[in-house]
Amino acid sequence: MVDAPSAADTARLLLDVSEAGGRGAAATVVAGPADCLGLRLVRLDEGERARTVGSLGTDLDPAVLSLLDEAISDTRARDGLRTPAGHDDVEVYVEVRRPVRELIVVGAGHIAQPMAHIGALLGYRVIVLDDRPDFATRERFPEAHRLVRADFSDPFADIALHERSHILLVTRGHKYDYECLIRALRTTPAPAYIGMIGSRRRVRATYVQLLDEGIDRARIDRIHAPVGLDIGAETPEEIAISVAAELVLLDRGGSGGMLRDVERVAERFFNTDPSEGGAP
Amino acid sequence: MTHEDDKTLADALIEARDAGRACALATIVATKGSTPRKVGARMLVDPQVGLVGTVGGGCGEAEVIEAAQRVLVSGEAVRVRVDLTEDFTTWSPAVCGGVMDVFVERVSGSSG
Repeated sequence: MVDAPSAADTARLLLDVSEAGGRGAAATVVAGPADCLGLRLVRLDEGERARTVGSLGTDLDPAVLSLLDEAISDTRARDGLRTPAGHDDVEVYVEVRRPVRELIVVGAGHIAQPMAHIGALLGYRVIVLDDRPDFATRERFPEAHRLVRADFSDPFADIALHERSHILLVTRGHKYDYECLIRALRTTPAPAYIGMIGSRRRVRATYVQLLDEGIDRARIDRIHAPVGLDIGAETPEEIAISVAAELVLLDRGGSGGMLRDVERVAERFFNTDPSEGGAP
Repeated sequence: MTHEDDKTLADALIEARDAGRACALATIVATKGSTPRKVGARMLVDPQVGLVGTVGGGCGEAEVIEAAQRVLVSGEAVRVRVDLTEDFTTWSPAVCGGVMDVFVERVSGSSG
């Protein structure tokens, strides 16, 4: 393996581990001794084992490795600058990569099409799954990474689910949604998102059934059903946008309200004294 | 950066390395206030191909490109602070109200 990973090596290593469903982090020295600037240390967690590529010198390595392991294990860790413990004069830029985000659309019907489209736009690797080969076709889903023909009684048999899997249940029948939901809920590690379409009544009936099956309350609370943000969506395209908005919100945070109402720029402006920069 | 951005950049980096071409890589490592792109955004300045990726466009990016040209010559990495807080009334596209730190390093070519 490469001794001193270049920017290209590092990019490749992180990309590969992410596509294989693993995790990785890399540190680049951006402040410190001149001969260290731009040096990289990469840590890869491929499930069974972790490996290290490169070195910043025996002095720095342990402190930086612990930063990298921390970033890998903290699912909320963001890319950014860190100072290795005991090296106040050094700054490293840490980038973290997780399994590539996947959107698994179960049911290749009329909502699935705009959903696959928007999912791909948002950078999800989209997998569309149906039991009918005529529906999950390349013509209907040009942006899908994979089209899977699956039996709804064991829908994820050919898909490796992980903590960055986002599952949207939009099959043609509520019974199928339910069967897939049970499977999704029993997956470990838990998927990032499980959404199921359905009216209030149908969702309620599903929850009653889940409790009967022995699924506990904590798991049920994680289900997003009905799916999406409340934007009054009616058409399949609008529903897909509402679900996409929910995915963005869960990823980035936010209130889901209109920014105008959140920031109240106009209101604050007109109610502020002109001497403080408000309206004259 | 999205996974697709990552892929595009990795491909560009690898292509330049395999061709033995020196390029400059700019990475936003810190931001304060409102900036068009956030931490992690990258731009490769490849003298042959041009720009791959963006650190936000406008005047701020122009500053980074200038730094990249210096880094390509000197081979020494620099950290550039780009200030996007100039007067709002200029309507300049670079006015976002924030400040960003960009690490610019030479990659591939003679530096490996």
